[in-house]
Amino acid sequence: MSYDDVEIEDMEWNQELQAYTYPCPCGDLFQITKEDLKLGEEIARCPSCSLYITVIYNIEDFLQDSHNPIQPSKQQSLSVA
Amino acid sequence: MEEEKKAEKRDNKNDQIIWSWGAGTEGQLGTNKLQDELLPQLIHQPSLSSVSHLACGGAHVIALTSGGKVVSWGRGNSGQLGQGEVVNNSLYPKIVTSLDAYFITHVSAGWSYSAFVSDNGCLFTCGDGSFGQLGHGDYTSHCTPFEVSFFANQHVVQVACGMRHSLVLLKDGSQNQVYGFGSGKRGQLGVSKYKIKSINLPEVVRAFEYAEIVQIAANGDHSAALSADGHLYTWGRGFKGFEDVHSPQRLNSSLNFSKATLGWNHALALTGEGEVYMLGGNHLGVLSDHQSMNRAKQIPVDSREANLEKVPGLDGIKISDIATGSEHSVIVTDNGEIKTWGWGEHGQLGLGDTSDQISPITVNCGHDLNEATSIRVYCGSGFTFALTMA
Repeated sequence: MSYDDVEIEDMEWNQELQAYTYPCPCGDLFQITKEDLKLGEEIARCPSCSLYITVIYNIEDFLQDSHNPIQPSKQQSLSVA
Repeated sequence: MEEEKKAEKRDNKNDQIIWSWGAGTEGQLGTNKLQDELLPQLIHQPSLSSVSHLACGGAHVIALTSGGKVVSWGRGNSGQLGQGEVVNNSLYPKIVTSLDAYFITHVSAGWSYSAFVSDNGCLFTCGDGSFGQLGHGDYTSHCTPFEVSFFANQHVVQVACGMRHSLVLLKDGSQNQVYGFGSGKRGQLGVSKYKIKSINLPEVVRAFEYAEIVQIAANGDHSAALSADGHLYTWGRGFKGFEDVHSPQRLNSSLNFSKATLGWNHALALTGEGEVYMLGGNHLGVLSDHQSMNRAKQIPVDSREANLEKVPGLDGIKISDIATGSEHSVIVTDNGEIKTWGWGEHGQLGLGDTSDQISPITVNCGHDLNEATSIRVYCGSGFTFALTMA
């Protein structure tokens, strides 16, 4: 069972791992690569434990421009919805 | 071996013993090894001979000594150890020398960052600042503790670090006692009824005009505060089955709470009478049942007391301390036993296996803890520490 549903904008791009990551409750990181996302994969796994999360994203964002990958937005200013 | 015996003797002489267990592949257990431990390990570290408090984060530990010094170890890849350099992991506890000029009285460890409070009320933060959780007015990370200038003219007494957000408690703050900064998407900052993505400077939590707050807590995307008259307030990500709340909500309960701790999907609250209650979790702090969570998402906030359950199986035994990891719980009984339950995949329950438990099970430390005058427990995301004083 998926541990959580996480939006891609809440994940962080990890240069070293070449993957989008999100904290796993075991202390390691859930990870998913851009290649996986382009294939429509929505499960990000933790290499250290059995848990995984479901990534919520729009596949078109990753298919459109493979040379200019979308970074999860980290808004610098206060945003009020 | 000889070294170990000497260290043990020294520990005994100081009447303090430290155990750790659970996830350990970042060196966070202080065992000088990069491996998980399924059973309590006795820690032999000369630099930890007079620890008064521990704060455990995602995979690092900040220890406070009775002399006001700070020692850190474990994962350091975001600068969360405060040792002036970014290290993958630090196997050996090291003193945070840049705080030497201060007498530190309170510490907290978040997912990948840390915070320190000095006796003169200064707040310092270091580690990952990507979400503004260091409170310096930017999104920069620091590998050395850096004073939060926002509080330069105020007296900070406590700080609580979650996954990506921080809370601060001021001394004599009256209406402006509690501040929040960092990620706010799930309402965990409590500074606005609107959805806030993140803020990098502290903003006041306007909910405590008529309450004196004595304890704050943060973990995952949850926040909590406890008032002097024993009321528990929670805000942020909704506990199992409940929607997110963007401002502190007082739990509708006649119980008088004395301590509260948070996990990523549950909370434990200890009453002045030594009873322990749990909020959220799938019955007992095990992994949340995602399907039923989705089904029940619309339960209104004001019926939350129905979500508060007394931890069963304790048969009236009084509880003296509580701690919560991301998905596990630890309690100390009045008769000197440590009990754990919840997620056990990394050995964080200390029961010798990787099974989950749905009710409290006694941990065998190989020592008679009954002799100890004080046992305190601390949890990181997937690991546990116990500190005993004879």
